[in-house]
Amino acid sequence: MKLSIGSRSTRASLQTPLYDFLAPSLIITPRTRKHFSTTPRTLSATTHNESSKPPLSQPHRTPKAGPEAATNTAPPSKPLTQAQRDFLTSALRVNQAGELAATLIYTAQTPPIVASHPHLRPLMAHMYEQEAGHFKTFNGLLAKHRIRPTAMYPLWSVAATALGWGTAIMGREAAMACTEAVETEIGGHYNGQVRVLLDMIDSMESKGQEVGEDLRELVDSIRKIRDEELEHLDHAVENDAQKAVPHELLTGVIRAGCRGAIWVSERV
Amino acid sequence: MATKRLLPLTRFTQPLRRPYHSYTHPAPPGPFNEIERSILSSAAKHIPSHGFTSTSLALGCSDAGYIAASTNLFPKAAFSLVEWHLLAQREALKGEVDAIAGDGAKPMGVGAKVKELTWRRLMGNEEVIHRWQEALALLASHPSTSIHELALLSDEIWFLSGDVSVDTSWYTKRASLSTIYAATELFMTTDKSVGFQETREFMERRFEDGRSIGSTLGSVGQWVGFTAHAGLNVLRSKGVRI
Ligand SMILES: [Fe+2]
Ligand SMILES: [Fe+2]
Repeated sequence: MKLSIGSRSTRASLQTPLYDFLAPSLIITPRTRKHFSTTPRTLSATTHNESSKPPLSQPHRTPKAGPEAATNTAPPSKPLTQAQRDFLTSALRVNQAGELAATLIYTAQTPPIVASHPHLRPLMAHMYEQEAGHFKTFNGLLAKHRIRPTAMYPLWSVAATALGWGTAIMGREAAMACTEAVETEIGGHYNGQVRVLLDMIDSMESKGQEVGEDLRELVDSIRKIRDEELEHLDHAVENDAQKAVPHELLTGVIRAGCRGAIWVSERV
Repeated sequence: MATKRLLPLTRFTQPLRRPYHSYTHPAPPGPFNEIERSILSSAAKHIPSHGFTSTSLALGCSDAGYIAASTNLFPKAAFSLVEWHLLAQREALKGEVDAIAGDGAKPMGVGAKVKELTWRRLMGNEEVIHRWQEALALLASHPSTSIHELALLSDEIWFLSGDVSVDTSWYTKRASLSTIYAATELFMTTDKSVGFQETREFMERRFEDGRSIGSTLGSVGQWVGFTAHAGLNVLRSKGVRI
């Protein structure tokens, strides 16, 4: 999807620059949204602007990698600073690790949850599909920008599977509390990245430097993914995440685990 | 504290020192400036006859039109010449990959490209092979540069070959190619056969071995990574309701 100049200025007039990073990608790239609430929602009718195709597997930008990616080079600009490259490197690495974990959590959660709550099958499938899309996006970006994946890859795989399966056998509420906790951390994490990227772009623009298209695309991708994560958070709350017992302990532990994993993946 | 302990690990995953390869922003400046590049590329022409020595470096200075005292631009002296050779040969691979693509009638797979690029890189040592043990001796006294350069070379070969895997195999692929390359490069210094035929065979055998080792390593990685996941699936396929 292309973003037009028009929509960009709409965004600027709607938001103060300070909260620019909070602008939902909806404003920039209108996309369809589907609600899977198990309780009837009056509001959902108004947000249903589905066209012919279901939005389940919205194609994510999958960047080319390898030498062929080098063919479309724009006019030269300044090299990125070491600090900027370091930020981009660890940001993309940690995002890939997170999305790997997300796909594995849902993979592990789905069978036990669906067995006892068949009506949750489409929701679980929907969330899994979106995570798989996110994972694919970051896999492509890592390969394209020649970033090493986290050395903790096997460890995160085991941890995420264990977390998904463990919360699923604790029941629907615990599984949803897991999603709630994870998505709260991840939503905040992506917001932080969008903020840094926008600052980076701003400072480059104010110095009159050309800003590479890859940076702008990255902001858009992360915004869009962030919105989908927050949508998962809504689904989790709608499905009684907060009735999990003990809710505070469970989400507290999972959120601390997420922060630890983020900290490590940014470094190793 | 913890960061400190993690450092040795990251040293072996060095391509991270030059991370985030941008396509719209130019690459950051390399290790040598314009003057140094011109001196070193002139000096490289003297390596076959004068070796990786300060003599070659001094000859390079005068060839490039600088006074002999310009050698003090290179505090590492002869070792700069080794670094230059490694850098120039690695950078030349970009051109080789197009040559490979133009060669065959049918498109080559990633594995075949990796092998071909490795061979072409080895052939980059052809002119200086009788002097290569000097370079190896210098490299042995700069182990971190050696490891770093080897890591960059194997990363470059996998990247140019179009490999896009970003899971645990990222590590095993680079580790095994580094090993194959280093072993073959050493073998080549003693090879007197025509057209380095024996080196070629040696390399082919290493890739063969590497394939079995690679799949073992790969399955270890996968075993660690996916045991929990696979375990669940196996149990589920056996009808265990979890
Ligand atoms: Fe995600
Ligand atoms: Fe998510």
